[in-house]
Amino acid sequence: MTDLPNSGSPEIFSRGYRAYEGPRTGVRSGMVAVAVASIQRAFGLRRKFRFKVVPLITIFIAYVPGVVFLGVAVLLPSELASEVVADYAVYYGFISISMILLSAFVVPEVLGSDRKTGMFGITMASPLNRWQYLLSKFAAIMAVMATVTLLPLLFLLIGYSLVDLGPDGFGELIEILFNIVVSGVIFAAFFALFGMAVSTLTDRPLFATAGVVMGIIASEALSNIVADSTDAPEAIRLFGLTRIPNELTVRLWGFAEDLDPLESVSNLGSFGAWLAAVVLFAVVVAVGYARLEVTK
Amino acid sequence: MLRAGVGQTGAVTTTPVITAQAVTKSWGPHQVFSDVTAEVPPGVTGLLGSNGAGKTTLLGMLLALHRPDSGTLRVLGEDPATAGPDLRTHIGYSPEHHDLPNDVLAQDLVRHVALLHGLPRREATTRSSDALWLVGLGEERARPVGTMSTGQRQRVKLAMAVAHGPKLVMLDEPTDGLDPVQRDDVLELIRTIGTEFGIHVLLSSHLLEEVERIADNVVILSNGTVRAAGPLADLRVGDGPITAVVDEGVEQVVATLRSRGFEAGADQNRITLTGNSQGQPATPEQLADALRDAIADLGVPLRRMEPSRQTLEDLFLDEVYTAPFAAPEVDSP
Repeated sequence: MTDLPNSGSPEIFSRGYRAYEGPRTGVRSGMVAVAVASIQRAFGLRRKFRFKVVPLITIFIAYVPGVVFLGVAVLLPSELASEVVADYAVYYGFISISMILLSAFVVPEVLGSDRKTGMFGITMASPLNRWQYLLSKFAAIMAVMATVTLLPLLFLLIGYSLVDLGPDGFGELIEILFNIVVSGVIFAAFFALFGMAVSTLTDRPLFATAGVVMGIIASEALSNIVADSTDAPEAIRLFGLTRIPNELTVRLWGFAEDLDPLESVSNLGSFGAWLAAVVLFAVVVAVGYARLEVTK
Repeated sequence: MLRAGVGQTGAVTTTPVITAQAVTKSWGPHQVFSDVTAEVPPGVTGLLGSNGAGKTTLLGMLLALHRPDSGTLRVLGEDPATAGPDLRTHIGYSPEHHDLPNDVLAQDLVRHVALLHGLPRREATTRSSDALWLVGLGEERARPVGTMSTGQRQRVKLAMAVAHGPKLVMLDEPTDGLDPVQRDDVLELIRTIGTEFGIHVLLSSHLLEEVERIADNVVILSNGTVRAAGPLADLRVGDGPITAVVDEGVEQVVATLRSRGFEAGADQNRITLTGNSQGQPATPEQLADALRDAIADLGVPLRRMEPSRQTLEDLFLDEVYTAPFAAPEVDSP
């Protein structure tokens, strides 16, 4: 009898097919699965390095100024440092590039690629319906956006507090936290829904990327040209896409120094412009997906 | 609770897996289905129709992705219109297209679909791996789908359809784009899924030969209606002729049959009984009885007697191309 070589403990690779009669976790966990897969895709996790480049750049842009400001605050006396480091409201100017990058490159990848690759149809053949799917996608994109609209500001708050530039007392801490969260949601919802709306209009992520970038540049340029060269009311500048969320957050933070809000626009008007924009973007997404054929 | 199909014990029942009763469906002005009535019994069923016959639209309605304009549908005993999400939990679906996320690993993709169907995370992980071994991609499970051949992608889609333990799988053109060897493998796999795993299979295809090879039942769609439906063996027999091969006495048997009012002919030792000469309808059983009686009465040595085999292609051509035009052939927009 031939002796078999000792190859260690045996391992079963295939157990054959077994019917599954166990518990099922329902629609909610299906939605979680879509959201988790979308976040992984957004950050390029379990994908080649080239898919990680844009997320890394956005995070770099969003956090590096904060690190620099904290370094300055540590090295300089607090009286001098308080004059040099950025206010919370001013910091949104530093992370706006990150938000545009996410809206232009990551949102189309998260939303549009499912239609291009047929994953949308496969998902619709599961217990999820298209609204639950969209809600999962929106939640995932908001979570991704929060890494640049929320976390850098929280990082700044903690850092400033450690070097004695933080809030004076519990009341101010709560106020700053509230402003950080609400401002984060204002920016994240705006850029998430704008990216989703453009991505709904085309199955090609590259076209959507171009659409987002061109939409922002063209709207900013046109609204400023019209405002500067005609007698149109100053509020026309709110047609610039980045101006809408910036205008609202400036008012939320209380007209911080170095910021230039539109004097002829009321707080309610600013909120109305933001709300109208996000509702418009949401309607574009909803109508686009309601009309989408899913079984091909 | 699902009532039909495979029970808790895995025993196969004879309750129809799918029933359609007077279903109509239009896309705008184009009527896709008019008064479709059919039953799909347990087992492997081929859904046949030429391109644009409405096969994919029907799959969409069975998955509750579209609602019929009128009529009733039942899938696994449930109405898709009211039990859509619960129903889809128990259905596996393999789409026609080959486009899958290229940079996603096969095991991640199959696991994701299992999670979508409500499997707990641990079960989804182990069953996705098992499903990929089942379809012959165990060694390839950590490869990105984009690096796989068309045949391997079809197998990934099959794994996606069965990983969550469905009671019914719907496969839309599962052999599209495969070479003959790959097609044989995939058909064998589908047959195994339908016969050994207790999963009912609805196979949409326009390739008659492959449906004939693996299906127990067939539904033929054309011009917005069901032209034929039922067990393949029954449909193929139809009202076709009965033939017998005898050692001698061919002329006597033919003469006897004709004297008894039947249309009969001969070719060497083969006698073919095609019908009743008085124009009366004759069932296959009556023809077989008449031929048997004539041969027995004459004491002619009989070698073989059988219904003439009708291929699925004959049946399809009869049902589709000899039927009157009923409605324009359009698919979903």
